[in-house]
Amino acid sequence: MNTIIFLQTLLIIVALTVTFLKDNFRMVIFFSVFSLICSSLYFFYMAPDLALAEVTIGSAIVPLIFIIAISKQRGFVIINDLEKDDDFLSKESEKGIGYKLLSEFAELYKLNLVIEDYEDEDDTIFGVFRVRNVDLFVSKKHGKYLLEGKSTNIIMNKLAQMAKDYPEIDVVFVAEEETDD
Amino acid sequence: MRIDILLSFIVVLIGIYGLCTSKNIIKSVISLNITDAAIVLLFLSIGSSEGGDPPILNGTISSIVDPIPQALMITAIVIGAAITAMALMLSIKLFHYYGSLNWKDIMEKEG
Repeated sequence: MNTIIFLQTLLIIVALTVTFLKDNFRMVIFFSVFSLICSSLYFFYMAPDLALAEVTIGSAIVPLIFIIAISKQRGFVIINDLEKDDDFLSKESEKGIGYKLLSEFAELYKLNLVIEDYEDEDDTIFGVFRVRNVDLFVSKKHGKYLLEGKSTNIIMNKLAQMAKDYPEIDVVFVAEEETDD
Repeated sequence: MRIDILLSFIVVLIGIYGLCTSKNIIKSVISLNITDAAIVLLFLSIGSSEGGDPPILNGTISSIVDPIPQALMITAIVIGAAITAMALMLSIKLFHYYGSLNWKDIMEKEG
């Protein structure tokens, strides 16, 4: 009985944590923890069949569905590091081939494009990727437009495939460093 | 009143509180899941008795816990997973239509 009361108290703490968190991914991780504690409680209430069902459904399949749904609900952030008068990413002009390619790509995966200008000059590109959660970094080197993206992002392969039609665009994959924490 | 029934009921109330106060759609769905799991827990804690064995009969066990709540609740777990998938699919549609995940923004855009 003492074990059950200890686990119930832990369950209340984790449920309160989930209720007061703001970050979507952390919420999902804590929900997975919640399901694991629930499943051990089912075991101590003499219901091993329910514990088996909960440990597969509640702490593996449902968080997976959540993560897939959350990853479909964010914008595709692009940082623009071109000159001011470069119309590579402009909507209106005829020369905006970059915008044409990226809007085609966004139409394919139903993404929201968010284009921002690059401001912080001290940061390296890795820092930009990690700190601001950027998906694509557009710059110009030696007369060619470089689209730099994370190599862990699966849909970047499709972008590289689509960019083969445009000879002045190069798609570069940047390997992310391992996280410190 | 046994204290473990009370504690399970508190978890149900936490889930309902999250459902009522959250502005984020994802958090609403997670709160729905918490309520679901806590109701399963409440039924099990009502049905269980101290010193009972799992309801697996092999001829030598004398006292078992009540197997009826367990048989009812295993359907509730599966239906909860299905409802979660359905709700998240609807939330993806809502995000692509209104461009937001906040209940208030969506209400304002709806007019």
